[in-house]
Amino acid sequence: MRLSTVFRRLLCQGALVSACSLSLFAQDLATRAWELERKGQAAEAVQLLRQAVTAAPDSANAQRAYAEHLERHRSPETRAAYERLAATLERTGGPTAERAAIQRRLTALDLLAGDRAAATRHLAGFTQVGGTGLSLNAATKPAAAEYIEIPGPLRGFARMAALSPDLAADEILPSLARNVVTNGYRAYASNDALEQTEYLSLVLRYLSQARELEKLAGPDKVIRIAQCDTAETGTLLRIIGYRMRGGCGADLVLETINAPRAFLTTDSGFPLGELELALRTNRPWEMDFKPARVPLLYTRDYWQPVGKGERPDFIDFFVSDPSLARLYIGVAKLDPDTAELLRKAMPSPRFKLFAHVLDFFGSMFRIRDGKAIVPGGARSEKAWADLNGVSPEKGVEFFQRLLAQDDGWLASYYDALSRIQGPVLDYLTEPQRLNRYYDAIRGKVTTPGPARPVFRSNTDMLLLTTRLRMDPDGKPHLPGGIDTWKHLFADPPDGAKTDNKIKKDSVNWKEPDQVMEALFGMSRKLAENEHLKIFMALTDLDRHRTQPLTPQVMEALARNYYELNAQFALLDESPDLSGQSILKFIDTALRVQKIRNQTRRADVAGSLQGLLGLWQIFVRQGTVPREQADSAFASIVSAFDQVENERELFDAGRTGVLALLKASKSDVKASYQERMLDLLAGTAAPSGSAAYQQLVQELIRVFEAQRLVSLDTLFQLADNLEGVSKGQALNTQLAGRLANRMSEINLPQGDLTRAEKNSGAFGYWTEKHIDDQRKVNLRRDIEKAGNNAKDLAELRGALAPFLRDTLVGFNYMHYAPPGAQILHTNPLFVRSHDFIGLIGRDATWRPTELYGSGWPRNAGGRLLGSLVSLPYALAQAEQNFLVPTREQALIWNDLVPQMMLTAVVPRWWNVSQSQIHWVGLHVAYGETSLAEAALSPSIRANVLAGLEPYLAPRRLKTVEEALLADDVPAARENVMPSELYLLARKLAQADTGSPTAAEIRRLSTEESAAVSDAAISRAFGTPKPTLANSYHQELLNLRTFPTLMGYSSRILAESWESNLIYFAALADQIHASVEDMNVLVPEWTQRTLEQIFASHLEDWPALLRSLRVVGDQVQKQAQSQFNAGTSVGGNAQ
Amino acid sequence: MNRNFWIAAALLVTTAAGIIIAQERPTFRVKVDMVVLSFTVTDNKGKYVNGLKPSDFRIMEDGIPQKLSTFSEGNQPPVEISSDGKVKPIVIDPAKPEATRNDAFLGTNVFVLFDTSNYMYKTFVYASDAIADFIRGLDRADSVAVYTYSRNLSRASSLNKDHNQAIFGLRKAVAGDDSALYNALLLTLRDAAKVAGRKVVIVFSNGPDNASMVAPDDVRAVAEDEGIPIYVISTNEVNNDAVSSNVFKRLSSSTGGKTYFARTWQKQVEAFEAIREDLGNSYTVTYYPQENPNEGFRKIAVELIDKDKKLRVQARPGYRPRSGF
Repeated sequence: MRLSTVFRRLLCQGALVSACSLSLFAQDLATRAWELERKGQAAEAVQLLRQAVTAAPDSANAQRAYAEHLERHRSPETRAAYERLAATLERTGGPTAERAAIQRRLTALDLLAGDRAAATRHLAGFTQVGGTGLSLNAATKPAAAEYIEIPGPLRGFARMAALSPDLAADEILPSLARNVVTNGYRAYASNDALEQTEYLSLVLRYLSQARELEKLAGPDKVIRIAQCDTAETGTLLRIIGYRMRGGCGADLVLETINAPRAFLTTDSGFPLGELELALRTNRPWEMDFKPARVPLLYTRDYWQPVGKGERPDFIDFFVSDPSLARLYIGVAKLDPDTAELLRKAMPSPRFKLFAHVLDFFGSMFRIRDGKAIVPGGARSEKAWADLNGVSPEKGVEFFQRLLAQDDGWLASYYDALSRIQGPVLDYLTEPQRLNRYYDAIRGKVTTPGPARPVFRSNTDMLLLTTRLRMDPDGKPHLPGGIDTWKHLFADPPDGAKTDNKIKKDSVNWKEPDQVMEALFGMSRKLAENEHLKIFMALTDLDRHRTQPLTPQVMEALARNYYELNAQFALLDESPDLSGQSILKFIDTALRVQKIRNQTRRADVAGSLQGLLGLWQIFVRQGTVPREQADSAFASIVSAFDQVENERELFDAGRTGVLALLKASKSDVKASYQERMLDLLAGTAAPSGSAAYQQLVQELIRVFEAQRLVSLDTLFQLADNLEGVSKGQALNTQLAGRLANRMSEINLPQGDLTRAEKNSGAFGYWTEKHIDDQRKVNLRRDIEKAGNNAKDLAELRGALAPFLRDTLVGFNYMHYAPPGAQILHTNPLFVRSHDFIGLIGRDATWRPTELYGSGWPRNAGGRLLGSLVSLPYALAQAEQNFLVPTREQALIWNDLVPQMMLTAVVPRWWNVSQSQIHWVGLHVAYGETSLAEAALSPSIRANVLAGLEPYLAPRRLKTVEEALLADDVPAARENVMPSELYLLARKLAQADTGSPTAAEIRRLSTEESAAVSDAAISRAFGTPKPTLANSYHQELLNLRTFPTLMGYSSRILAESWESNLIYFAALADQIHASVEDMNVLVPEWTQRTLEQIFASHLEDWPALLRSLRVVGDQVQKQAQSQFNAGTSVGGNAQ
Repeated sequence: MNRNFWIAAALLVTTAAGIIIAQERPTFRVKVDMVVLSFTVTDNKGKYVNGLKPSDFRIMEDGIPQKLSTFSEGNQPPVEISSDGKVKPIVIDPAKPEATRNDAFLGTNVFVLFDTSNYMYKTFVYASDAIADFIRGLDRADSVAVYTYSRNLSRASSLNKDHNQAIFGLRKAVAGDDSALYNALLLTLRDAAKVAGRKVVIVFSNGPDNASMVAPDDVRAVAEDEGIPIYVISTNEVNNDAVSSNVFKRLSSSTGGKTYFARTWQKQVEAFEAIREDLGNSYTVTYYPQENPNEGFRKIAVELIDKDKKLRVQARPGYRPRSGF
């Protein structure tokens, strides 16, 4: 649909170009193309340039403009276009400087495409025309000192060991080690011994079977079956656990004779079907069974010292020792130069003692020129020496000591500070503070250290150092000011505790440093660190605001943190929300929570939250303008302030709807329902585009699937009932419409057997809610009320539960994840939302949770809690509907919902084509910079320095080694799209030779506001509800986080900021319109997720691979459609 | 905003008369597509009754007699039924199989959904053998797809007339962890619904589900509406898990399929044999429903005209017409 739109434009433009092609040469082609691009007509710009090249085959100007345009859009045709330009310049005797520049560009593009032969040729051309300073390195990547062998094909082993077949060779053993540590053993509480899990047991059994097969394969390691009836056939079948049934010939069938062996055969992907077919047809069959050679870090002797007896195979030894495996992970994460120095200093038995600390906190260790690199640099070296007892000057000893110091606390401090930069780093590494805060973290008792569990536990310190904000005076930002924190520590809020010393000292606090010291002290705790959580949440809340919140508001928020913390993300949505509105919200929320009638409480909470959820959506999308945000919010909250009965609830809901429509400047005469759908689709001014229509259609589909009642029906019916109380007749058509709707839904209990009902776990309150709706009979109620005007006036209260569901349903519709199978299949999903929660758990204002998945008796899963984290919960519910395209996939429980959320929450109506192009240009420039870095030591140094703040030392070294080997694709595989963007931001402004950089400068001059860092962050950032307590789109430009205990991997997932950057660059590449991105991004995201095959939680390259697979498919499809379209129009090259 | 364009477009693509059900936004419609109905006829001893003719049946929807378009028995080629009740073979142009889409009614589209979750860990390979045997025994005209599931669905082998491909896919199934049976069944039904002609889904499972978000009865409704019989082979004893057993029975009976409780490999083979017999002995008719104001569940009744009253017809009880644009 989107691509055909591009077509239509192209064809139209083709006619235009033909008509005016004669005058093209007199004009500045590049400028004209640029003007078209600015209008969002990039495809027409290409067409214009193509036409110019066709019309004037000898025009270097036309060819230059065309080639540069293609380069800026990362077109696969770029190299061919530059080749033509180079030939033209040579033929026409073009300036040597330009000829050299073109050859240089071609060399870089060749390297990027992995075409080293062409790069060599073009580099020679570059030198020939006088170019200097570039060379290919021809260095080979450092080979492993030793390789180990794993019996049989790697693919079979990888399947059994849950490793991605796409792993780079040097990642196989580290990934295996990680799986062994996390999945291979389990401990029993009764003793310290570890027992192998079924996972590891299967791996070992597979190895044993593979060795038998290897023996059968003989010296050349090929299993050969000449024909069906041979001894080899019998041996093979015995090893793989099968036997023949029916004898050789057409009736032959292989069937299981030894289930454990047969299981290994099938699970490892042995080609059983092919073998069976060969035997049946009596054809020869063979299978290459050469062992997989896998590189080993260091040498085998280091890991497996030679003893007296015979050494077992390394792979068996490796998986049988979890502490060795853990050390291997830690070493593999180290910068290789540092690792080598540490290896020389520490034999493996000693190193193993600190494997857990190295695994968690070693990845940032770096030794350069014999010195340890420490956070804070030279200024802090003395302080680090004091803390560690060894000077950073003695690099190896420094880290040896750091690993052993305080059970890992100092290493964890080093790690947290190594991951940050800028003013926060300067502040925290000021020598005195460095000491002071470490004392707080370390405490008096260091055991247990922070590296004890499988996932790191002291997450809070990492979050604190990452999210701390500095005020302009160089002091840390204390939300609400120091007095607020004095009060909060002296008189802790509900659910918070603090130790007596801090409590006592806090009374005399005068400086922010004192608060920070207390917070650092709390970050060492696994529990009871509410103050720290409150601090981070309130800091986040202040971050986006135009005016910081007052101490009074901050204290109110802190005091109600326990009950309302999940709602902070809602309050964060508008930077202009007044303190008064926030206080009113707190008051109303607590009042709602105290409603004793649970049915009414659920209805009130659902209606209010439904409206506030809509407010949040409309504010985010700009359909409620900034200046209206506070008043709309206040109107909604005020309407619910004093709801005493169902009629008042209905009126409050209606008031809220009207407040939202008014704030969004809606036509008062328009249909409420239609207007709401327009706003939900995403814009105040519907464009009528195909993408927009598609979104609206999908909204209606979900609305119908959920059997919701439209706002118009409800409001008309309410007006009619108001009339009834004044003597008018009931509008039977409207009443019938409501009754029909309810007749379409059935309670889930209806068809269940007694056994199912008895074991049922379907929620009482949600079931009652649905049952009550089914019982509504307006005609009967009118008759019952008789002439009692008061009772008649209350009748519209019966509509309140319906209005609640409609409002809640609007939120569900907007956040429907790609596919939305549940919303299309379970007609009670919206109605089943449980705002009360299980007995003893007051879920009304808690985060949205998934409940009741699995077991047929549950009548389907449902959501529980408030609506505040609905986008995540819906994505979580939907993730198991993804269909992995690979035979084995690790779908990350936390990563997948976050990526789905990232595809759904951000909409593209307020993003401009120029912004898309800006990102595309930077990604293109970043890629070219990587290629140039392979050609020049000085560029390489700049590029590596540009990447250093974002890449861990080990990954940076991998990139460097790839560049030194001229393997630019391998380097690119290790630089994430968001990192490429940041690299280009750093380098492009100063580059005067690149046409891409020139366009970046032009855009930054002509559209400075649209392409400012803040605007780009808003347009292409990702929502970070856990990491930043906010659904704001934002690029935080952090290093990707490690797996964190407690917060699980949600934070890790939220630190991944590459998806929208990648998709924007892809859109720029294929000339997709920005409006179409509203439809394309969810679709691309789903395809990306279905492609993921990762071996562990931090396998980011696997994610990038999936993005690239989808990107390549999209790009090829676009190219073929583009070419077909131009052919139809007669404009083919 | 003006949505007239979309309304017009919706009218153009709707194959039959639509009925407006959303009052404020007249774009959402009930679509009435051709109904494909498969059923078996058995005598009082449970033996299949073959050789019946179209004129032997009367199909009713909510009591409204329907006019049959095509009729076929087992895997025999379908015949077209003209307005006067006469039958004639459907001529299929091999050069334009898409144009004569009734070729889709040659054979059955069989979707096998295989539980590879932890619940099947111990019996995984035997189950695989039993399914392979079943696929080998299918009629050449049948197409078969093999899907596996644990937490997610996996399309091990997409719908194909080459049964070897299905077996290759089956033989490479990977054991998984959690079981999301009803999610997977829903996705399988959605795939099956896109295929023209007669189709069945065969679920091979141990029963429990610990990861689905959709309820079995919502999935059942989809199968009813799409006219896809669900056969279930449970590797559990009927009494071991009463809840799952009841669900299985309900799923199959209301879609025109059957449930078999087959704990042993031998029983599983027998169950597959029974399903194959069911497919080979069933009748399939198609019709375009007569005008019917019922937008909800439409009851289907298959009546035998002038036949022994003791014959038993097993068919799905009805369906809901589709909603859409």
